Amino acid sequence: MKGGGLKLLAVVIGLNIFFTYIGLYFLPQSESQPPKTIKIEKGVTVDELLSLGEEISFSKGQCMVCHPMKAETGMRAPAISTIGGEMVKSAKERNMKPEAYVFEALVNPAEYVQKGFENMMPPIHKSPTSLNEGELIAVAAFLQSKGSQVTVSYPESLEALKEQIAKEAKKGGS
Amino acid sequence: MAEVSVTKGLIKGVVKLTVLLTVGFVCLFLFGKILSAPTEDGYRFFPMLGSRVWVWIIAQLHLNFAAFVLGVPIFAVSMEFLSWRRTDDRLDRIAYDFTKLFTLAYTLTAIAGTVLMVSLPLLYPKFMGHLMDILGPTWWLYIVVMYGEVLVCYYYFYSWHQMKDKKGVHVAIGVLLNFMGLTMLLITSSWVGYMTTPGGVSETGALINRWAAIKTYMWIPLSLHRLVANVVFGAGIAAAYAAYRFITSETDEDRAYYDWMGYTSAMISIGFSLILPGIGYLLGVEIYAYNEQMGIQLMGGFFAWLWVMQAILIGAILMFVNYYLWISLNKMPGGERYFKYVKFLFIIMLLGYTVWLTPHSVALSLEEARRIGAYHPILGNLGVMAAKNTAVVISYLATFLSFAIFKMSNKEPVVPWAKAGNAIRIILVLGSSVAMLGIGVYSYMVTSAVRVKVLSPIQFGIFFVTIIALFILDNMMYKNAKIIGEPRWGKMPERSQYALIGITVTFTWLMAMMGYMRSGGRQYWHVYGIMKDTSPDAYLPTHGYAAIVCSTVTVLFFLFIGLLFWSIMKLEKAQAAKGGAKA
Ligand code: HEC
Repeated sequence: MKGGGLKLLAVVIGLNIFFTYIGLYFLPQSESQPPKTIKIEKGVTVDELLSLGEEISFSKGQCMVCHPMKAETGMRAPAISTIGGEMVKSAKERNMKPEAYVFEALVNPAEYVQKGFENMMPPIHKSPTSLNEGELIAVAAFLQSKGSQVTVSYPESLEALKEQIAKEAKKGGS
Repeated sequence: MAEVSVTKGLIKGVVKLTVLLTVGFVCLFLFGKILSAPTEDGYRFFPMLGSRVWVWIIAQLHLNFAAFVLGVPIFAVSMEFLSWRRTDDRLDRIAYDFTKLFTLAYTLTAIAGTVLMVSLPLLYPKFMGHLMDILGPTWWLYIVVMYGEVLVCYYYFYSWHQMKDKKGVHVAIGVLLNFMGLTMLLITSSWVGYMTTPGGVSETGALINRWAAIKTYMWIPLSLHRLVANVVFGAGIAAAYAAYRFITSETDEDRAYYDWMGYTSAMISIGFSLILPGIGYLLGVEIYAYNEQMGIQLMGGFFAWLWVMQAILIGAILMFVNYYLWISLNKMPGGERYFKYVKFLFIIMLLGYTVWLTPHSVALSLEEARRIGAYHPILGNLGVMAAKNTAVVISYLATFLSFAIFKMSNKEPVVPWAKAGNAIRIILVLGSSVAMLGIGVYSYMVTSAVRVKVLSPIQFGIFFVTIIALFILDNMMYKNAKIIGEPRWGKMPERSQYALIGITVTFTWLMAMMGYMRSGGRQYWHVYGIMKDTSPDAYLPTHGYAAIVCSTVTVLFFLFIGLLFWSIMKLEKAQAAKGGAKA
């Protein structure tokens, strides 16, 4: 059959145009940028800390991969919108300061696993998330603001944060 | 080609490989001198396209060819084995044709490989230096095995006719060839495995244990997944070849043969694709075991929508298959009786597919949706996988039915319980469809852990039990069945062949996309958690951008493959003319 080969080629190109079209116009178009390290200065206000913490949670921290904003059925991890209040409750149960509790949750999550969830939260000061101390405090402040009083601040909370990091390191990579 | 002696063939193969490798090493050396030094953090930049897109395209092209030359030998040798046991010449011819295809494709594979081998160390010197530190010995082993592979492959091909009377030995050589191919696959998968789920190194990337760096979480499941996907892909390309030869052939005899080849290859392809989801599941489990965050990011984060795209592509493949089988009924004496059923199945699938393709709202990425607290109608809190899995298993079942109908359409059962058998079949199909749908709906109401660990395996389990039961039932029912007439191979309208090409093009696109996801899953890391990507290309592009690259690779690949097909045909014609002149 004459021109059969060309017709086949037309099918190949046509299908590829169709798939490109779906990729361009049916799927969402966002990029995923590598994170920038955020430097937090001494004397940062609570509001600044909160907005930095929110930004980190949504981008570099990749918290939303597991945590939903509002509670939903079958969720993998506690909802952010009420997480502050929940943490205060759990801290009371375990006789811990809210500050110590939130830092432990971030850098040593395996120490205490919330009921109804699995132990899958990564220690976020370590690779691959690798938040630095200032970023961790900003995230902690943001989480506390979701349903409880914000008690952490920079640089005053560094001490408490380092204590939790040291505890995690002592466990020896287990 | 049969005239070329075995020794000459072997020499040709070794010379080709050596020339390419030499060219590669010389280019590396020369360009290393000529080009300006890399940036401080270890990058050079490819003009216009950028390093990433260049390497992306070359790597995917190389992988496509490699998948083809590793996948096709598996069923070439299976066919040869069958032809030997059953002394069926048609099977021997198809096995030989497959072998011709992959032997000639070697050169293109090696050329793409050489371009890649030159590009990577020049554009990413620091990263490649690290890989060489950790996995260097495997690269040298790879070169050795490559020589072995080429020798065995050329021997296998060029000795085909000479060893006609020593089929057993020849089949054994084919098995050896596949063994070498498997070794190459294992070596290359270990590289990718190390980049994605690294092990055996310290937090700063210093080597602690080389074997642990090879034997990473991803290694074996990735290799298995690639192995099976290679068979699916290789068979798909063989079907495309058959379609091309069918459309361009001039005699009825050729048309009959290529029609049969296209059908056989396509069914092998689809048959093997049935086990891919299972192995993909294993691969996913290993990635989760390595790092939950990466697993979830791949399944539900940035890449969530590409799983929807995957479902769209699988849907397209199955529609092409159903369409093809539906047309195929034309050539079955007695096939008319089943037209209405297969048409019905096809329409159901078409409807389902259209529903899938209709966007329900502006597409939001999962993270955006969560941020503003909106639930996406498809993604939202429901998760993609439940909907996708259900759609896929049910479409597969419909396809299997089309296939079964096609197989029995020229037969009439003679067993006394044929009526009851038909009733059982209907109950089986409807029952399992309802069960699978039920599980799909129910999985929206449970936690993701239950969905992934319990419900999905059950759903796939039901599917497999159903098709196995149907298969056994049909075999019993059609034992000694009255045959209305033999299939009229070659009596196929041309449009059926476009469906065959459609299957393969779609599968190639799917492979490009899955390759992108596997690679993009590392996000801004060269080696996940160990070595950061600090180049300007460290971000993940939009899905539209990725789709353009996938399409570019796919079109390029088919242009090259088309050239290969065309040159094989020319060669055969030239030989036939020469043979004709001699006689
Ligand atoms: C891989 C999934 C995953 C990622 C990514 C993740 N989390 Fe979690 N997170 C969990 C799970 C599961 C739990 C509940 C189990 C537990 O307490 O460890 C949890 C618990 C928590 C808790 C404790 C809640 C409580 O009431 O005790 C906090 C705080 C938290 N996550 C914050 C974060 C932040 C901030 C990020 C991003 C920087 C983040 N998580 C990223 C899975 C994840």
